[in-house]
Amino acid sequence: MRTLDPQSLTQHVDRLYRAAWALCGSREDAEDLVQETFARVLSRPRVLRSDDELYYLMRVLRNTFLTGLRTASRRPVTVATLEDVVTADPRPMARPAEALEVQELYAAIATLPEDFRLALVAVDVLGLSYREASRALRVREATITTRLFRARKQIVKRLSPEPPSSSPPPQTPSQREERNAGGVLSGEGAQ
Amino acid sequence: MSERLEHPEAGLIERIRAIDERAPEELHRHVQALVAERVRGSRVRGGTGSRTRWSGRAELMAAGVAAAVAVIVLVLSGGDSSTLSVREISAATLRASTTPAPGESLRKLGALTESVDGVSFPYWKGVGWRASGARSDTIDGRTVRTVFYTGAHGERIGYAILAGTPAPAASGGVVVSRHGHPYRLLSEDGVRSVVWLRKGRLCVVAGRGVSSRMLLALASWHERAT
Repeated sequence: MRTLDPQSLTQHVDRLYRAAWALCGSREDAEDLVQETFARVLSRPRVLRSDDELYYLMRVLRNTFLTGLRTASRRPVTVATLEDVVTADPRPMARPAEALEVQELYAAIATLPEDFRLALVAVDVLGLSYREASRALRVREATITTRLFRARKQIVKRLSPEPPSSSPPPQTPSQREERNAGGVLSGEGAQ
Repeated sequence: MSERLEHPEAGLIERIRAIDERAPEELHRHVQALVAERVRGSRVRGGTGSRTRWSGRAELMAAGVAAAVAVIVLVLSGGDSSTLSVREISAATLRASTTPAPGESLRKLGALTESVDGVSFPYWKGVGWRASGARSDTIDGRTVRTVFYTGAHGERIGYAILAGTPAPAASGGVVVSRHGHPYRLLSEDGVRSVVWLRKGRLCVVAGRGVSSRMLLALASWHERAT
């Protein structure tokens, strides 16, 4: 057991931000979530049972995220106009193509069911081991494995382009007539 | 390549793990400020002894003792009065209104007719928040005037201004900067509040079930508009 060194936390800001972004689906909400997470962690001295503080941060991030969700579900929808105007993020991301991919990926993750999302964020985004993730999310390791498997499947499905159909769809009689008429008018089949 | 085709999940994991998006500088600064505040607090409570030489168990015990001492000091002294004042002001923003809402000022654009020491309450009807009531309290012998606003969906927030100077020092939460002004974001028991200074007067805008972003946007609206 050891007390958490506050100064060591600054090295995790980027990773935690990415995890929060994937959880929330928006950069602005991710910033709020990370700020709140650190404010919670730093509100009093903490004692860790292991050397790795990242899993502990993930646990606090998860709790903060879930508390926020519960609060949000209870409150009425707030006016969006002012918030949008004032806090719209003007920062362009450095590499547009990559930015698009990051946004697309995180947005897809954010649409996953909560349990799947948390598992995927803990392991794939934050880089925790299955064991650490299970401790951070307070579930069995086998549950993490299952949720992760399903979460990845769902994301792949969502991000995959529509597969080309192997056989053309059945045509209606009118479609067949149009096709035939088109062929005649364009000179197809004319000798 | 073939692995990606056969196992598209492997490609997905690769893509997710390759993302190295850095958090915004502002967020880094906020976290560093929080850490610095925490470290300062620890030094004040624990002294400047060489903590690194201690063993883990001794450090743990010391932390426990320090925490216990801090609790005793807080209980004996009645807590930090400045923080308490900010908390009390924030609490005033949740109480019921006792007087009707002030009207829009015809002389000052974007302001209500009500003001404290020349610091006027903002007129936010144009941005979806209408003034719905007001009240006055006396906290630590100083007047706190609060105007309440109601949002389009019935949300309620209070905007309190503490009369006189100096303003009590606020602590905790997160400090963010908007339009060159520092704002402190606090959250306690589901009540979010933003604390800042206008002409040296302490202002608090707070509400239950309203996001920090919304409160911050409203609090900084005045500086942006004027």
